[in-house]
Amino acid sequence: MRRFLLSTLSILLTIFLIGCSNAKETDKTGTVDQEKSDVELVVSAAASLTDALVELKGPFEEAHKGITVIYNFGSSGKLATTIENGAPSDVFLSASSKDMNDMEDKELINSESRKDFAENALVLITQKDFDSAISSFEDLNTATLDHVAVGEPGSVPVGRYTKETFDSLDLWEPLQDKLVLSSDVRQVLTHVEMGNADYGVVYSSDAFVSNDVKVLAEAEADWHEPIVYPGAVIAESMHQEAAQQFLDYLTGDEGKETLQKFGFK
Amino acid sequence: MLDMDYSPLLLSLKVAAISTFVVFVAGVFIAYMLAKRDFFGKSIVEALFLLPLVLPPTVVGFGLLILFGKKGWIGSWLLEWFDFQIVFTWIGAVIASIVVSFPLMYQSAAAAFESLDERLSNAARTMGASEWRVFWFIVFPLAWPGLLAGLVLSFARGLGEFGATLMLAGYIPGRTDTIPMAIYFAVESGQMENATFWVVMISTFGFSLILWVNWWSKRNIRRFTKS
Amino acid sequence: MLHVEITKQLAHFEMNIHFEMRNEIIVLVGPSGSGKTTILDTIAGLAHPDHGLILSNECTFFTTGEKPMPARERKIGYLFQDYALFPHMTVEKNIWFGVRNSERNERHEMIRQLLEVLGIKHLLQKYPHQISGGEKQRVALARALSTQPSVLLLDEPLSALDKETRKQCQDELLRLHDMWKIPFIIVTHDHAEAERLGDRIIYLEQGQITDEKRKRSIVSTY
Repeated sequence: MRRFLLSTLSILLTIFLIGCSNAKETDKTGTVDQEKSDVELVVSAAASLTDALVELKGPFEEAHKGITVIYNFGSSGKLATTIENGAPSDVFLSASSKDMNDMEDKELINSESRKDFAENALVLITQKDFDSAISSFEDLNTATLDHVAVGEPGSVPVGRYTKETFDSLDLWEPLQDKLVLSSDVRQVLTHVEMGNADYGVVYSSDAFVSNDVKVLAEAEADWHEPIVYPGAVIAESMHQEAAQQFLDYLTGDEGKETLQKFGFK
Repeated sequence: MLDMDYSPLLLSLKVAAISTFVVFVAGVFIAYMLAKRDFFGKSIVEALFLLPLVLPPTVVGFGLLILFGKKGWIGSWLLEWFDFQIVFTWIGAVIASIVVSFPLMYQSAAAAFESLDERLSNAARTMGASEWRVFWFIVFPLAWPGLLAGLVLSFARGLGEFGATLMLAGYIPGRTDTIPMAIYFAVESGQMENATFWVVMISTFGFSLILWVNWWSKRNIRRFTKS
Repeated sequence: MLHVEITKQLAHFEMNIHFEMRNEIIVLVGPSGSGKTTILDTIAGLAHPDHGLILSNECTFFTTGEKPMPARERKIGYLFQDYALFPHMTVEKNIWFGVRNSERNERHEMIRQLLEVLGIKHLLQKYPHQISGGEKQRVALARALSTQPSVLLLDEPLSALDKETRKQCQDELLRLHDMWKIPFIIVTHDHAEAERLGDRIIYLEQGQITDEKRKRSIVSTY
């Protein structure tokens, strides 16, 4: 037993040390890059933007020699927290105004750089092969459905919009026991794709990239706050200029085109 | 006191207790069976048992969904024949806990059995003891300190299990919300008071449990070891 | 009567042993690694020969090609080297471990006598780690005999004891043998001890019997 514990401990220690040394190395390369004017631009972006942004990376770097884009995807709320706690980041692309507002209030971003670069809609989805009896949000009926996967409203933006929508339809309370609250959009999709939840609510852009779900209905715009994606340069960024270039590119023609290709508006 | 729902505490305890019971029985049994045998591929089997320890929780969770989901290999079968659904129920939380804590129990039990003096079991056999009696009167009590360590580790792991549970049991407040989920979502949505409450709760509980077990096992071991 | 005929491949040699004994004391002498303990283990059923025949009175313990009789059914008393007392049980529990509930009453008198002869009555409530080496040896002996075995195997029973205690214990063993009248097989590497205890001494080397001595010309305990 003792030996087992010891070896486990030493493994953990090794992992920890490797982790530390890695962290140090990246710090070092960061400073070296600055001197050479090669810029590593860290873009913290909402997970729902993943596919569009990955596609944009190549063309952007092609157009801006010397800038390398590194993405850090996560839920907007989590990203905001880590940036607030000092995680190195140059651009913040949020899936919700609320998180961006918080950042702005705390003066963590450059207010003048803030810009809404995309819009999204909320859609009701189901598994591709599922023969759904309903075709609109209003049809969601507690008696007949098993589970609906949605984002957790407190922490996941899509969850907050979903709650607003369900609240306007007086569905949130009655559906309470059927709502599987997920920690991100990917999980909502997984639950629907695998058929574990009959329905799910995600952004139209998410439904767009999944091959295994189909859209049943789109929520009307006045059921929830407008879903806009604000982006901004982080106040503490060492690469203000490059960060602004990235934002400009995103809101420019190429950026718009790519975003639309992936279901954004 | 805070205005909040206390159901995560009860649910967590229920899930951890049941999963620990299952893991203990299965872990002890399988470890004992394997400890006595050497066969081709034994280390592969053992590595498989320990796999959940190294896999990221979401991968484990995804694997569990493939097995126990409504369309999963086992899940669809259970649904069809017993109308029994695992995914998005507290049973799902139990299964996730079992899978992630089994390696700890197995490892502790295997180490405990390995370190036992085989001659003691043999002595019992020459005295006419059945394998059953050898196990219960010789092997089990002598391996108990190690088994207890595994038991506590498993319980603690079950109590803290989050990633795989979130996938398989989902987060349905009032139904499948364990303490770690309550903490996670409270932190994520900035409800620091709630989060702090649960953190203090689970830490205090885990800490006292380990203290108690240490004290208790020391007292018991002292009875028959050289002082 | 005990008939032992063993062929078994060991790590460095093949063991070939054949002997037969009555209710006498056989001492197996040989350097370490010569296969002495293996012989005891195969008789007790803790290890099995590749080929051979092991008979005790009317019982077949082992015969080539058949499933060996399990150790627990052989009624063998086995005194292990270092005694292998159960550390988590009192002396009393150790001694009574091999007695079935249904036999408790009839064994009572026998075990009381055994405790008396061995002088360990006062130790009953102690744990093994609380008693001396000589006491452990006696407790182990009592434990091995408490099941009323038909054969007693002793693996280096006295090696852990100091000279004085050892002599006492040798006398005790002889006395017990007189009382019990069953085959005793004692393993030792001490030649003087072998001469003192054995009716017959079997010398082993590399798994073969190299020599055999009979101490008393006529041994009959019938």
